[in-house]
Amino acid sequence: MIAVVPVRAGELPVGAAEAVAEAGGNVVLAGDGTDAAAEALTSEAPLLVRQVVCAELGSYAPAAWARRLSRRLDAEDVVILPAVPDGRDLAPRIAASLGRPLLAGAQEIRPAGAVVLRWGGLQLVELTVEGPFVATLLPGSRSVAAAPSGLVPISLAPADETETSDDGAACADAMSLEVLAPDPAAVDLAEAAKIIAGGAGLGSHDEFATLARVAEAIGASVGATRVVTDGGILGHARQIGTTGATVRPRLYVALGISGAAQHVGGIGEPLHVVSVNLDASCPMMAMADLAVVSDAAATLEALADLLGLRDGALVGEHASAEGDDD
Amino acid sequence: MTERFDVVVVGAGPAGSMAALTLARAGRSVCLLERGPFPGSKNLYGGVIYGRVLDEILPRWIDEAPIERWVTRRVTMVLTETQSLAVDFRSSAWGAKPYNGATALRPEFDSWLASEAEKAGAVLVCSTTATGLLLDERGRTTGVRTDRPGGDIEAGVVIACDGVNAFLAKQAGLTSTEDPSHYTLGVKEVLALAPDEIERRFGLEPGEGADFEVIGGTGGIAGGGFLYTNRETVSVGLVLSIEGLSRSETRPEQLLAEFKSHPAIRPLVAGGDVVEYGAHLIPEAGLAMMPRLAGDGILVAGDAAGMCLAAGIWLEGVNFAMASGAAAGEAAAEALERGDTSAGGLRGYRKRLEANFVLADHRRLKRAPHLVLSDRMQHQYPQLVCNLVEEIFTVRNPSPKQGIVAQARQERRKAGVRLRDLARDGWSAWRTFR
Amino acid sequence: MRRPLFAACWKVVELRSSIDPLTGEVTPDHLSLGVSRSDEAALEWALRSAARWGGGVRLVTAGSAKTEAALRQGAAVGATELLRVDLPIDWPSDWIARAVAPHLADADLVWCGDMSTDRGSGAFPAYLAAELGISQALGLIGVELNGPDGPAGSDGPDKGLGFEALRRLDGGRRERLSIGARAVLSCEGATTRLRRASLDGVLVARDAPIAVRVGSRGTTVAPAVASIAPFRPRARVVEPPAGPTARERIRSLTGADAAGRTARAITLNPREAAVAILEALGSWGELPAGLSGERAGDLP
Ligand SMILES: Cc1cc2nc3c(=O)[nH]c(=O)nc-3n(C[C@H](O)[C@H](O)[C@H](O)COP(=O)(O)OP(=O)(O)OC[C@H]3O[C@@H](n4cnc5c(N)ncnc54)[C@H](O)[C@@H]3O)c2cc1C
Ligand SMILES: Cc1cc2nc3c(=O)[nH]c(=O)nc-3n(C[C@H](O)[C@H](O)[C@H](O)COP(=O)(O)OP(=O)(O)OC[C@H]3O[C@@H](n4cnc5c(N)ncnc54)[C@H](O)[C@@H]3O)c2cc1C
Ligand SMILES: Nc1ncnc2c1ncn2[C@@H]1O[C@H](COP(=O)(O)O)[C@@H](O)[C@H]1O
Repeated sequence: MIAVVPVRAGELPVGAAEAVAEAGGNVVLAGDGTDAAAEALTSEAPLLVRQVVCAELGSYAPAAWARRLSRRLDAEDVVILPAVPDGRDLAPRIAASLGRPLLAGAQEIRPAGAVVLRWGGLQLVELTVEGPFVATLLPGSRSVAAAPSGLVPISLAPADETETSDDGAACADAMSLEVLAPDPAAVDLAEAAKIIAGGAGLGSHDEFATLARVAEAIGASVGATRVVTDGGILGHARQIGTTGATVRPRLYVALGISGAAQHVGGIGEPLHVVSVNLDASCPMMAMADLAVVSDAAATLEALADLLGLRDGALVGEHASAEGDDD
Repeated sequence: MTERFDVVVVGAGPAGSMAALTLARAGRSVCLLERGPFPGSKNLYGGVIYGRVLDEILPRWIDEAPIERWVTRRVTMVLTETQSLAVDFRSSAWGAKPYNGATALRPEFDSWLASEAEKAGAVLVCSTTATGLLLDERGRTTGVRTDRPGGDIEAGVVIACDGVNAFLAKQAGLTSTEDPSHYTLGVKEVLALAPDEIERRFGLEPGEGADFEVIGGTGGIAGGGFLYTNRETVSVGLVLSIEGLSRSETRPEQLLAEFKSHPAIRPLVAGGDVVEYGAHLIPEAGLAMMPRLAGDGILVAGDAAGMCLAAGIWLEGVNFAMASGAAAGEAAAEALERGDTSAGGLRGYRKRLEANFVLADHRRLKRAPHLVLSDRMQHQYPQLVCNLVEEIFTVRNPSPKQGIVAQARQERRKAGVRLRDLARDGWSAWRTFR
Repeated sequence: MRRPLFAACWKVVELRSSIDPLTGEVTPDHLSLGVSRSDEAALEWALRSAARWGGGVRLVTAGSAKTEAALRQGAAVGATELLRVDLPIDWPSDWIARAVAPHLADADLVWCGDMSTDRGSGAFPAYLAAELGISQALGLIGVELNGPDGPAGSDGPDKGLGFEALRRLDGGRRERLSIGARAVLSCEGATTRLRRASLDGVLVARDAPIAVRVGSRGTTVAPAVASIAPFRPRARVVEPPAGPTARERIRSLTGADAAGRTARAITLNPREAAVAILEALGSWGELPAGLSGERAGDLP
């Protein structure tokens, strides 16, 4: 098994150490600034890394990289990439050039298959494959700190021309103009100690406007699930999760959030979690200190009310609302 | 560009789909508009439907309609805070053809009915809201405006089946009342349970269903409750007086939670995960709120015309909607045939409703809503009968048993019910329901 | 000069499905058959590409005949060609891409959604690009079609067929890309909204023709499903416990000192729920000065 970790300007992506751990400590760092990345990796998880190969391939170009890595990877039965944007982008290209199946979005990868997430992370499917394959591992799936200590001393193989093959054919790739730092509009989120977040069960624009006011009143930042940002209710910068902002709050309040792995993978390990949901058995409820079965929008309204942010009779409003449930 | 159809039917609920089906079969071009992404998507889940009206129009409905369970057990229950008294009726005849009532999920049922209309040739257009009527200079309805770009549809007749808000009937000036006492709020939860668990709890054979109608149990607010079994869910809900609700300042969800925890209800629903919650208005006042049913170029059917029969132990809207929709469709076809779609030309609609059960039932039961929602019916009588029965069945040996009549008198006094009122209510109940 | 051709790929699936929390079994809701927000956005970008550079829009889906009603909705908003590749929708992504690719060999820009509702791997667009031997730009969160022309790709029909886009990276970072034809793009649902079909469009699309091609199996090994289950986090390996005595080590291992997680959820009405939340935040010291959880409890 071997991990392939795409590197941009010496920076490791989220989930790099997990992918390396899953691959038993063997990794190809591919990209630009791989030496710096190797140093970062070995200092982040020194016990974990057995062998690092640095493949200096220049700036990100999935088609060209896949081709240039294929000879080196052909010898490996299982190739693992982190399921972050660059990894998800590159993995099918590698699988295609190796002519192997891809087991995408795995929670766990084994020598003869993987457990992958489906249906927005609510279902686990155990897949088995005869022969070699490529897989992507979702960040947040496993711990890395306590992996068994390295059996073989760390060896840093130099970037070696023979590691890559390049038959000279032109590979079409889009051109990267620049990498932008996290959206300033969401910097508060990354550093927030308190986050109050809404999901598909909270509602739409009106409820999220109320959410913003309640958050302000209790000194928290607003987050959301991907369903919400996809729906255009909040900007994508507010999306929390493995493909959005990864946050490390002390307090996490989840309103109408099911707790899909890709969401929870981005919230760190808060000291306290509150979850409001109609479904008592969803994963978000299972990880909450205070798990309340209640309507999320109505609870938020009541919170706004208690915090003195609004007035008006709740019942009157309900009854005069349109007769239909939209 | 403006489209033209013989008829445009607004709303693909039971009323609208039946109207469209009837017209398409009569060879008319008909456009059936639905604002939801599919028919039934906006309609509350689960309830009991009665299909007799379908026998003639869709004779194979028993085999083809998406039925959850055939109702073979019907329970009418009276609740006080701690007591319950039920009349529990079972009929094995209801479990075989031609059947009586059935539980059905509205997204499935409404979609099925609309697809039958489509098969007959109606043009179903979903995700499209009728935003208003097109009127000519003399105020006659000539079509509808929709929220789609280029969305005007001209038609000889518009049939408004847009449900309880009756927005189009109001615009046409056929109705003006917006008296809140004419409406109740229905709230409902759908709880998931395994089919065999439902059969065990409700004492049913596989495929059979139960229908519970409950008086009381609404936390002092006028209304009632219900409980229906679907295949793998149970629908539980309350019908609440809107005035009572706003006066009490309790939220309907809370009342529903209390209802579900009543000792007589809890064992039936305990442990079921909520898979859906919704609230919807119900036109309650029957005849008292019915609009004029026809204007120039427009007919009103179903809930939009207040056709729903909501009278305590009955909550039947779907069959009234289907029957009125079919009647509207027939009348419109007839009017188009004769080339007179004025209010006069559409008179056949009312005639048809008079001739079948729709208006007859509404006439017979016209006092029922008032009676059922009255304070005595809601509070004092349930308390009275429950206490009485409790007294009768409480064994107090060695004290001797009291006569039932004496006990009844005593309980009536305790409940503060005057004999005169009891007599009057008894009489009006007799006249209402006989 | 050849007229450019734009394409959009739609995966038509049951959008709403219930997943049994005990067995993980999926019950698809057949009434929810449709496409995701991101697939809708993909078609909108294809339509806008055609508006910008001229040319037609081919809408493609791979799946069974039951997808056709949804496909026609694409014609209602302006797709000029509808194509269905007949194959089982649960095939591996690479097989599907291989079956679809021959029908997109003449497309200049192919727009996809970033990930499907059921599989959610985002792998199809990359496989498609690999099959077609063209470039890919996946997971776009911003598209600037009307900006200055980017560099044209090597075999684009028109040097003008280039644009800039923003792609999501991990950790909140983003990447600005210059993209030229030919390419496969995938976009997130929030990038744009699909335009609303006119009434006329809807009525005409009811009879829009759909070309059907048969897709054949791929050549890679198809993974076999060994089991399905509801989501459970993977067992975590924890650090060896710290602490001088065995007792302390056990306490730290079992989390006896840490705040306990609730064993079960409580059902409350919204007001009680709000009060409980404020009380909890107060007791954890998470309410700003001036607000106190206890006070919340006293409120009516
Ligand atoms: C590769 C990949 C990457 C992804 N990355 C991310 C990511 O970074 N971040 C992210 O968030 N998601 C991500 N997702 C999506 C993720 O899998 C889930 O689909 C998403 O997190 C679900 O969001 P949700 O909880 O808002 O919606 P749902 O899963 O639909 O849950 C809604 C919840 O609300 C509850 N509810 C409904 N009505 C009410 C009510 N009235 N009151 C209270 N509760 C109610 C329901 O019971 C349910 O639990 C990713 C998916 C994939 C495949
Ligand atoms: C909680 C509850 C429980 C009930 N239980 C039962 C029961 O057990 N048995 C029973 O028989 N009845 C029951 N009813 C009553 C029953 O639901 C209604 O009487 C019945 O649905 C009326 O049918 P309809 O076609 O007139 O209207 P609806 O079913 O309301 O259909 C109206 C349709 O029009 C559409 N529409 C509305 N406005 C527009 C517009 N402007 N443009 C386009 N489309 C529009 C709506 O989306 C909807 O699909 C119950 C009602 C409630 C609220
Ligand atoms: N069967 C299919 N037919 C057409 N397009 C598809 C199909 N499967 C996936 N796609 C496209 O690829 C995107 C990502 O899907 P996936 O790779 O399954 O996550 C979808 O949003 C579609 O645009």
